[in-house]
Amino acid sequence: MLFLIELWESVRSFIATGGDVLYVVAFALLLMWVLMVERFWFLSSVYPKMRDDIVNRWNAREDTTSWYAHRIRDTWISEATELLEQRLLTIKTLVAMCPLIGLLGTVTGMIGVFEVMAQQGTGNPRLMASGISMATIPTMAGMVAALSGVFFSSRLDAKVKLAKAKLIDSLPHH
Amino acid sequence: MKKVINFVLLAASMSAGISATASANSLDDLLKQVKNDRISEAKLDKKREAEFLSARADKQALLNKAKKELADQNARNARLTKEYAANEITLAQKEVELDNATGTLGEMFGVSRAAAANAYGAISTSIVSAEFPGRGEALNRIANAKEIPSLPDLEELWFALQTEMTQSGKVSQFTAEITNLDGSKSTETVTRVGTFNLLSKDGFLNFNDELGQVQPLAKQPAGYISSTASNFFSLNSGYAPLYVDPSRGAILALETRKKTLSEFYHEGKQVGYGITVLLILGCLIALERMIVLGAMGAKIRAQEKNMEQPNENNPLGRLLKVYHDNKAVDAETLELKLDEAILRETPKVDRGINLIKMFAAIAPLMGLLGTVIGMIMTFQTITLFGTGDPKIMAGNISLALVTTALGLICALPLILIHSIVASRSKSLLQKLDEQSAGLIAAIAEKESK
Repeated sequence: MLFLIELWESVRSFIATGGDVLYVVAFALLLMWVLMVERFWFLSSVYPKMRDDIVNRWNAREDTTSWYAHRIRDTWISEATELLEQRLLTIKTLVAMCPLIGLLGTVTGMIGVFEVMAQQGTGNPRLMASGISMATIPTMAGMVAALSGVFFSSRLDAKVKLAKAKLIDSLPHH
Repeated sequence: MKKVINFVLLAASMSAGISATASANSLDDLLKQVKNDRISEAKLDKKREAEFLSARADKQALLNKAKKELADQNARNARLTKEYAANEITLAQKEVELDNATGTLGEMFGVSRAAAANAYGAISTSIVSAEFPGRGEALNRIANAKEIPSLPDLEELWFALQTEMTQSGKVSQFTAEITNLDGSKSTETVTRVGTFNLLSKDGFLNFNDELGQVQPLAKQPAGYISSTASNFFSLNSGYAPLYVDPSRGAILALETRKKTLSEFYHEGKQVGYGITVLLILGCLIALERMIVLGAMGAKIRAQEKNMEQPNENNPLGRLLKVYHDNKAVDAETLELKLDEAILRETPKVDRGINLIKMFAAIAPLMGLLGTVIGMIMTFQTITLFGTGDPKIMAGNISLALVTTALGLICALPLILIHSIVASRSKSLLQKLDEQSAGLIAAIAEKESK
C-alpha cells in the first residue's frame, strides 16, 4: 500500500513539473491502450469463434458458385472485416495525436516562460526553468506515448489483415 | 619823448598810490583781529587745562575702583572653580549610585525597545491589524522612547504580542470598511484566516498596511483559487479546502499579475478568433453528421430486420426497392442497377466529413500564421526599441505562441471527432456498398426456394 502511495507521489511530482498537459497525454494514452487491449482480446478470443461459425455456415451451403453465393460470401467477409477493423482508425488517430499533444505542451510551456519574462525580465533563469520543464516534459511524454502505441498498433493492423486474408482463403467456391 | 615818459611815470605812481591806501586798511583789521584772538585762546587754554586737571583726579578714582572689582572677581573665580570640582566628584559618585540602583533594568530598556521595534514591524503589516486597528502607535512610542519604559508601556507591549500570537491561530469573522478599487468605501463582513488571508464573498482581500485599509485585490487569482475563498467565506460550520498564502500577500500579489485563461485567449487576437470559428464550425458539422448518421444507422438496422418491405426513408430500403422493382432482370443487370443506386446514396453518407478533416488541417496552419505575424511584430519592436528590454518583446511573442497553442487545441479535438465520424460513415458505406448486395441475394435465394 505504501508502495502505491509512493508511486502516486512520484507521478504527482512528475505531473507538477510537466504541467497539466500531461493529463491530456495520460488520457490519450489510456484511451489508446484500452482500445488496443480490447482489440487484442477480440482477435484472440471472440474472433476465432466467429470465423469458425462463418466457415461452417459457408461449408454447409449447397450453392457456392452462383452470383448470389458470391454476394453472400462478400457480405459475410465484409461483416467480419467491419468487426475486425472497428476502432482501428481511432487507435491510429490517437497514436498520431500524442506527439501533437506534446507539442501543445511545448507551446504552453513557452507561453509560461515568456509570461515570466514579461513580468520579471530575464535576470533570473531559475524563474524561467519551471516553464521550460513544462515545455520539454510533455513533449517527451507525448513522444513516449506515441512510440508505445506505434509498435502495437502496427502489430494489430498486421494481425487484422492476416485474419481477413485467412478468412477469405477459408471460404472457397466448391 | 621826455614828455611821454613823464606821463607814464606819473600814471604809474598814481595807480600805485591808490592801491597802497586800500590794503593798508584791511591789514590793520587783520592785525587787530589776530591780537584779539591771541588773548581769547590763551583764556581757553587756561580753562581746558583746569578741566583736565580736575578730570585726572576722577580717573584715578575710577581706576582704583576697577582694580578693586578685578580682585573681587578673581576671588569669586577661585571659589567657583573649587565648587565645580567638588560638584564633578559628587556627580561621578551619583552616577555610580544610579548605575548600582538601575542594575539589570538598564538592559531591560534596550530589550524592550528592540522588542517593541520588532513587534511594530510585524504587527503593523499583519492582517490582524485590519481587525484590531491602532495597535501600532503604542509600540512605535515604546520603540522610540528615550527613558525607561513605564509599567503600562510594558504591559501594552506584552498585550500586543499576545494578541498577535493568539489571533494568528484563529479564523475569525468581523465587519470592516473596505476601500474599493474606485475609491468608494463599503462596510462588509470579512473572514480572516490566521495571519495569512482576508476573504470576502468576492474572493481574496488585501490589507494595505501603509494606509491601514482593507482593499480588494486588483485582480482575483485564477477561478479555481478564488472560488475556494468565496466557498470558505460562505461556510458556517465544518471544513472546506482553501488556498492560503503563506507569504502573507506576496504570492497573491504575484497571482494578480498572472494572466487568466481568457486573457491568454484574447492575446491570440483575430487569428485566435478565426481558429475558434473553425473549431465551432467543425464541431457543428460533426454534430450534424453524428445525428444524421446515427438516425440513418438505426433505420438501416430496422430495415435489416424487415427485408421484405422496403421502406424508402433509408438507403438500404431504397436499394431493396431497386431489387423489388427489378425482380425479373438477370443478375448482372441487377448488380449494375444496385451499383447505380449505391452511387446515388454515397454522397449523402460521407458529405461534410472531409470538411472536418480540412478544418483540422487548417487550424494548425492558422496557428502558424499567427506565429509568423507575432514574430514580424516582435522584430518590428526590436527595430524600434532594440533588444534591451525583454518585457517589450514578450507581448508579441505571446501572440505568436498563443495562436500556435490555439491552433493545436482546435486541431486535436477535430482530428479525434473526424476519426469517430469517419469510422461511422465508413461502416455505413461498407454496409451499403458490400453488404446490401448480399442481403438482397439472401432474399432472392429464399424467394426462389
